[in-house]
Formats: sequence, structure tokens, C-alpha cells
Amino acid sequence: MNKLKTISRTDDYVVLSRESRPVPDPGVWGMLRTTVVAIPIGFITVFKHLFRKSVTIEYPFKKRPMFPRYRGLHYLERYEDGTERCVCCGLCAAACPADAIYMEPMENENGERLAKVYEINMIRCIFCGFCEEACPEEAIFLGQEYEFATDSRDGFIYNKEKLLVTHPRPENTLKKMWRKVRRFF
Amino acid sequence: MSDTATKDQKTTPAVEMVSLTIDGRPISVKKGATVLDACRQENIPVPTFCWHPKLRSVGACRMCYVEIEKFPKLMVSCATEAMNDMVVLTDSEKCREGRKAIIEFILLDHPLDCPTCDKGGECDLQDNAFEYGLSDDTRFAFRKARKIRDKNSTFDDLQIGPEMVRNQNRCILCYKCVRANEEAFGEYDIGAYQRGHNTEIDAAPGGQVASLYSGNLVEICPVGALTSSDWRYKIRVWNTQTVPSIDPYHADGANLTLWKDATKVHRATSRMNDDTDDGWISDIARYGYQIATSERRIKAPLVNKNGAMVEVSWEEALGVISRRFKEVKESQGAPCLAGVVSPNLDLKTLHAFNKLFRGALGSNNVDYRSDYSNLPTDADSTYGFMASRSFSIDAVASSDVIFVVGSNLIREHPNVHLKTRRAIFEKLSWLYTANPIVTKSADCSTDEMIYNLGTDEVFLNGVTLSLIQQGLADKEVDTGKIETLLIPNTLEKCAETCGVSVERINECAKRLANSKSPTLIAGELVSNSIARENIAKSFYNVALLLGIVQGKRGQAAVLAKAANSKGAEALGLFPEISATQTATLKNQFQSFPELAGANWDAMLSGAQGEDIKAMLIFGANPVQTGADYNHIKKSLESLDFLVVADLKETPTTALADVVLPLSSFAEYDGSFTNLEGRTQDFCAGMKRIGASLPGYEALNRIAQSLGFSLYADLSSLQDEVSELLDSYNAPERKHFLMESHFQAPPAPQENSLPLFAGDALHHFGHWTEMCHSLLEFNPEAALEISADLASRLDIQTGDSVRVLCDRGDKGNKGEKLILKALVSDILEGDTLLASHNFAAKPVNCFTSRDSRVSYVRIEKIEKQ
Ligand code: SF4
Ligand code: SF4
Ligand code: SF4
Ligand code: FES
Repeated sequence: MNKLKTISRTDDYVVLSRESRPVPDPGVWGMLRTTVVAIPIGFITVFKHLFRKSVTIEYPFKKRPMFPRYRGLHYLERYEDGTERCVCCGLCAAACPADAIYMEPMENENGERLAKVYEINMIRCIFCGFCEEACPEEAIFLGQEYEFATDSRDGFIYNKEKLLVTHPRPENTLKKMWRKVRRFF
Repeated sequence: MSDTATKDQKTTPAVEMVSLTIDGRPISVKKGATVLDACRQENIPVPTFCWHPKLRSVGACRMCYVEIEKFPKLMVSCATEAMNDMVVLTDSEKCREGRKAIIEFILLDHPLDCPTCDKGGECDLQDNAFEYGLSDDTRFAFRKARKIRDKNSTFDDLQIGPEMVRNQNRCILCYKCVRANEEAFGEYDIGAYQRGHNTEIDAAPGGQVASLYSGNLVEICPVGALTSSDWRYKIRVWNTQTVPSIDPYHADGANLTLWKDATKVHRATSRMNDDTDDGWISDIARYGYQIATSERRIKAPLVNKNGAMVEVSWEEALGVISRRFKEVKESQGAPCLAGVVSPNLDLKTLHAFNKLFRGALGSNNVDYRSDYSNLPTDADSTYGFMASRSFSIDAVASSDVIFVVGSNLIREHPNVHLKTRRAIFEKLSWLYTANPIVTKSADCSTDEMIYNLGTDEVFLNGVTLSLIQQGLADKEVDTGKIETLLIPNTLEKCAETCGVSVERINECAKRLANSKSPTLIAGELVSNSIARENIAKSFYNVALLLGIVQGKRGQAAVLAKAANSKGAEALGLFPEISATQTATLKNQFQSFPELAGANWDAMLSGAQGEDIKAMLIFGANPVQTGADYNHIKKSLESLDFLVVADLKETPTTALADVVLPLSSFAEYDGSFTNLEGRTQDFCAGMKRIGASLPGYEALNRIAQSLGFSLYADLSSLQDEVSELLDSYNAPERKHFLMESHFQAPPAPQENSLPLFAGDALHHFGHWTEMCHSLLEFNPEAALEISADLASRLDIQTGDSVRVLCDRGDKGNKGEKLILKALVSDILEGDTLLASHNFAAKPVNCFTSRDSRVSYVRIEKIEKQ
């Protein structure tokens, strides 16, 4: 019986455990089935897969494309002319449940508001995407990138330079070509 | 002009109440109150934009809609008088619909730039739109108009004042800014131009919004149309916390709120207190918090080592101080030590200072009046008596005749100035001002009487004589021997000497005598004059004849100048304290020096002689703001040892052997006693800068290094302060007319002009030089000059002017300074005003310790 049983009780919590079931005696046919019959079947299964297409991905060398709504590393968008979209309004920081965003505004030579300091602490960030949702300027997005481990804590503080997309946006032709070529293999 | 009697009938109806029902609640309010007042009295929320508690309603925004039974349409509650048996609904479906429509109309032409707007987070429009207006189904869809000056720019903000930025797109035309400026401040530098939806809020053509109260306009703007350059893009308001604070400069004691985050204070705003400030604060109070964050602060103690000031630790500085103080005390005796403290420091510091000198060091030489000269030496001076009269700032707003003598009120007491304006605006009171110079009050006073320089007491004697001659004087006062008491002793002679006609003096006297609750104010031009005792006696005579000092009606006082002058007086920080004060102090300090102390005058002359050898100057900067630069400098230079504690380096710290860093008011908890005697607490908003310490802590460390302890814990120090304040009684005396003899000051030389050294409009004392926002208004020492004189000498604002002093008989003969001219639209005649707030230009080199008026010559420097 797979019944839950209370085995100890304190004032605050209850610990539950499953009752153990007695193992039934397999018998002679049972023994033969699990040895003489099962082993060749196992070998057949394994060798069958040698000639099939593999399902694992050799991760560091090949990457699986992420889902379109995957929430990876943040990036800050720009307008077509290259100006930053972010006006340092502070709403993303206000929405952030992990308190991961820090910013200081400034005024540019036209008197417009933009960020002097904009930092996301990726160790604090829980990748909930609330910042993206809060942003009124469509400036911050959570991208597809998930490989950003480094060996220092400071390396996880992403400042504005690291977060902003490069301008002009690089034509990713090399990468595209490589994908095409890879299809043949 | 109507007669006083008819006016009184008009203004004193019996308090009648009306009762009405709001949201089912029965409410009774004073007759004449609006429906909105009734709602606010019961804490029923009604959204508003254009209404302000201290301004008249105009009903411009229509956000405050309420439904009133039997009225076919929604009514604006802020402009509807409450009537008996009204039935009001504030939250009905119809109301909400109406308010939603208003928000819809406003948002038709309001940009949705909350992300870049400084008001975001504290914006009435945001809040009300969230509450009433969130819907996508607007009935109108067209492009929003963009009101900009420069078509090529992407940017709509326009700097319309030194600290004010306007974005016309965001303006909802509530006219609060324009109304407050005119109604409350009497300034006309901001206005609404054009008509309809083209209306623009702008500075007057060719001008800037630069009045002393300009920051309030930003504060009351319900949206982000007016924002301040200081707070611009600094920090979001939801990332700040607020702490209560007090104006650390003026004696008015305006209440402030400091907005801080974990690192520092970011701005100061008002905190409405009807007793002192009505929610309006001067820009000096608003931007004065910047002394806390200024780059110019001293961060560590400095010790003079072979002529160079070297940063050292507190221990080392204290070691030097204790060694030298002990040396002086042992070789020359305790009376060779003297202490000067600034009345802009908090009560605990002042008391600790007193305790260090009187209790620990055993010297009675303490003073807080280092800005003045020729101080009174006896405990019961008439000046002291008049300066300690009880005074209520709020009562100014309800008094029917206000009489100001010898005070540039707006510069000395910005909030008292506003209360006088309120009295005139609301109660149609009479304001009489009598000054040697024209002041801002001239534009609202019934009569601005300009008397000749140095004839303050003659004018007041004229009023005294006029009161007696017209038979208006208090009957219980013996006026028999008046001819022998006053010089000159007839009204005609007085009028001739002071230059104000007999009719005007008579008119003023009559109005004062007929008043129910007169307010008599004497200001800094009296306190700062070397004839202050004589003027105070004349002032006392007037107040006596009106029955004020006997407590029959009204109020009269010489107003204290600095934030804590009253506190310093109550704590006894001057040598000639009264017997009761001495008794309380003796009780608190283990020992008390017997020898009478030297006041500031005596300290200076003592320092030049052999009497004073070492001095501790705490927060004060007499070399810059005291009278007679050369005399003070020479005296301080001849000291053996000088310790100066201050926030920044000043001309006084330049003479010091040891300089100690003090913390500003935003860095510790303390309290100030304002000119009414009201003690108000302020709280720390940020960590102390560098190694700076609050005054009381620095003093305790000095005491400890000398082997004493000033306090075990702060609460015991606070208890001692409270005990002193509670036991303080203003001096009393038997009332009789005082004698006041006028001595004509020597006639000026040909071509010389009288000069007053004092505060610039946007500065106070020597600390505000650190506030970058105030420097936007008054960047450097200016020579204010009347338009008339300027055109005669062909001087324009911004011209360099050489100021020469060739009359000074003492050290200041031949002094010269180059100042920037500032043509004032208020000043008249030949009088010059020079600002003493800038260390680079010691304009007090022209003033002298023994003459009432300083004369200078000026010449324009031609540009090459
Ligand atoms: S993803 Fe979530 S936790 Fe991370 S920065 Fe954005 S709001 Fe904060
Ligand atoms: S990223 Fe978006 S929400 Fe965050 S500060 Fe910039 S504009 Fe505001
Ligand atoms: S600037 Fe502000 S206070 Fe002035 S009218 Fe416009 S919204 Fe009102
Ligand atoms: S608040 Fe009543 S109309 Fe504006």
C-alpha cells in the first residue's frame, strides 16, 4: 500500500513517510525473464540507436535556439538613429522584485533625460522580466543569451555600455552562413 | 481711503455657522466657507488642481466637481459657498463621470512624458488620472499640439528663471503659479501670456523668474510644467525619504522637509506650518540645504604648521588646542580666553559652548553678536528689552496696522514679509514702513516714509510727539516732561531733521493709535546701528504710548536676525546676562566665573591690547560679516592662538591656528528657537561629511582634551537646554518714557554716497556662498544701485565699479574694492547696498565700528 503515514509530529510541522512494500518473490520464470531474455533485448535497443540520428546537442560547440519568449540576458535598445531609448525613468527599478537595477539620470546637451549610470546586477536578477514589462519606452528587453558566467562578482554587474546593443547593428551574416552550412551535416 | 471705523464694522461679523450634509454626513462650517472646505474639514477626498489652501479660488480646472441636490449641473466645490441644508454627494456616479471627462479634456493636450518628467511620482494629474480617468475610449483623437520655441529641437523645456524650467506642453493652466506670485508674494515676474489654448506661462518679457520665493511656484505646480533646475533629473521621488527640518538661516523658523536617500539630501521643500510660514519658504531656505553637500566643505581638521594649513586627525588638532589653551590659562589666567559663537548653530551647541567657557574654562567672555559693534554693556538695556518682547508671526497676518521701522523686511524675515502681505491682501490692513532706504515693502505699504540716513530715532520721536500732540497717547503714561526727554523736542523740528513731513507722521500716528491690534517691527537697520540703544528707546516710547509694552494690545519687538539668536539670548551666550539666568547657569555648571566678561567689542580691543590671548570662534565669520574688516582682522591677528570651527574656509579661518570642521544642520538632530521663542526640532538627513562633527560633539571633545566633560549623554545636555529655556523670562521693567537724544552724524564729504553692507537678496550670512543654486541668482558680490543714480553715472547692470572709501578716519581710509553693479528697480536715491556674503569681496572694509553711516565714492571702470 502506498499510503502516507505520520511518523513524527512537532508543534510546527509534520513529517510524512511512505510505508515500505514487501518485495514479492520473482520465481523461476521471473529470474529467466530478467536475465536470459532481457539482456539481448537491451543490446538490440542500444545497437539500434547507433544507427539513428542523435538527439543530444554537443552543447558548448552547438547551441539550441531558445524559445522566442525566453528570458535571458537583458539588453537596452536604441532608436534607428542610434540614440538610446532608455530615459532613465526608474520604472524598471521600481518594478524589479529583486532590487537588481540601479540608475542615475543625467541631462544631455539638448536637455533630454537619459541614463548616466544604468546597472543590472545579474546575481540578484531572477529573470522575471518585470523590468521589460514596466518599461514605457520599450528600452529594456530580456534576450536569448544565457551564457554569461564569469569568475568575479564584478563581472555580473552589467553597466550601460555592456547592456546597450551595438550601433550600427552588426549584420550577422557570418553566423547566418554558418547555420546554412551546418544544415548539410 | 475708507475710515478705520467703517472698516472695522466690515471685517468683524460674528462667527455664523451653516450646516449641510455631505455624503450623508451632517457637517457644520463657518459661513463663507466653500463646499470644498467643508469636505476637507471632514477628510472627504475631493480631487483638485487649481485650488490651494492659501490662495483665492478661481475655479479654473473644474476637477473638484461635486453633485449638489437641486443644482441641475455638477458644481465646482472650491468655488461654491456652503449653504444651509445643502445635500452634497462627492463620490456619486455623476461626479466620477464629470471628473473623468475633465481628465479626458486635460489629457487631450498633455504629453504622456511621465517617464522623463520630474514630477512623476508626485504628480496630481497622474494620481487623478489613475483614480478617475483611465479609459481608452476618448471621444477625441487628434494630434497633440506641441508648444515649443525652437522647431529644430526635440526638446520643449525652457529655462525661465535661474532655477526654474518650464515645459508648456505639460501645463494644465490652473494659474496657481501666477496667482501665488501675485497674491502671496506680490511679485509680477511670471505671467500668463496669449489666450485660450495658446496661453503660455512665461517670465515677464525680457525678464526671469528670480524672486526670493520662486521655488514655491515649482512646488505648487500640480504637474511637471514648472520644475526646478536643482532637482532636475536627480532622483525619483519614490526612492527618497523625508525628514522634517527647519530653515537654518532666518529667525522666522520656516518649516522644511528634507528629501534624502541613503547617500545624501537631494532637496528641501516646505512643510506647512501656519504659525510661521503658511507653506511658503524663501529660496534661501529651499536651496540652503546645499551647504550639506557642497564641495567646499572642510572635511578634516586643519592645523597651521609653519604657515601652511595641514590636514590632521582630530586627536592631533585637539592635542594642539588643549596644549595651547592650557598654556594661556596657566600663564595669563582664564579671562584671557574668549569665545564667539554663531547664532546659526543649534541650541545644544550653543549651550555646550557656554558650558565649555563658563563651566569648564572659567571665562565669562562669550558672545554671539559678532556681526554687531558698539554692543550694550548693561543687563537691562532698552534694546535688550525691546528685542525680548513676545512676538507672534501669525498675529502679523491678523493685525490691522503694521508699522515697520528700520528693516529691509524681505531680506531679513521673508516669512514675516509674507505675513504682512497677507494682512494687507486679506484684511486690508494698513502697512507703514519707515526706512532710510526703499525696500520691497514699498509696493504694498500705505506710506513708505524714507527718513534721512542716521535719523531713525528722530523719526520715531516725531511719532511719539505726534501721538502726544494729537492726544492719542495712552492716558496712563505720564507725558508731562516730554520736552526735556527728547532731542529734538518738537514735531516740526523732528520732521525737518528726518525729512518726513509732519502730515505723514501725524497720519501714521493716528492710524496706529486707532488700531485694535497694531504690530510694530524694528529690524536689522536698528540692531546693526551703533545708536541702537537710542533708537530702541524711541521705539520703546512709541510702543509705550500705544499701550503695547504694557500688554494692552498688539505687539512690538526688535526682531532677532538669525535662526537661533533668540535661543542664544535665552541660553545666556553673552556676558551681561541677568541675575536669574546666572543663577540657573550656576546651578547647572559646577563652577561659574565671578569676573564680569568681555563682550565682542571688548574682546577685539582686548586682543589688540593684552587682555585676550586665545579665542575660539565657532561657526561665526566676523572678518567677513562683522563691522570694520581691518579692525577685526588686526585684532584676530594679534591673538596668540585662534581656533575657528566652520563648515568652509572663510577669511576668519585663514587667520586661525587650528580649524575644525563642523557639520551642517542637515547632518545632525537639533533645534532652533525662532524669533517668536518657538523652539522647533530638525532631524538629520544624511551622514556627516568627512570628519566633521556637530558643534556639541566637537565642543565635548575639546573639553575632554582639557580634562572636562560637557555631558554624559545627549539627553542630559538636552535637559539642561530645556531647563534654561523654560526658566527664561523676558526682562520686565517699570514703564515710563525714556529719553532719547539725537546727535547729528557728521556731514558727508562732497561726492560721497552712503553704503550699507548686508545680505544680498538670495543670500544669508557667509554659508550660502556654498549653495550653487543660490549662486545662480546672485553669483558674486554686487553693488546695488538705484536706477536714477545709475543713469546719472552711466552705469549698467554688470558693469565693474570701483568703490573707494576716503572718509574713514580709522583703518579703512583708502580701502577700495571692485564690485559688479546691479541696478535695482526697488532702490531709490543715492544709497548703495553691497552684499557681504562673498569671502572674495570683504565689503565690510567700508563699514566702521564707530559711525552710523559709511560713505564711499564710486567710479565706473571703463571696459578696455
Ligand atoms: S528580470 Fe526581474 S529580477 Fe531581473 S532585473 Fe528585471 S525585474 Fe529585476
Ligand atoms: S529601461 Fe525603460 S523602464 Fe528602465 S529606466 Fe529606462 S526607460 Fe525607464
Ligand atoms: S505652470 Fe503649473 S502652476 Fe502654472 S498654470 Fe501651468 S500647471 Fe498651473
Ligand atoms: S480645484 Fe476647483 S476648479 Fe480647480
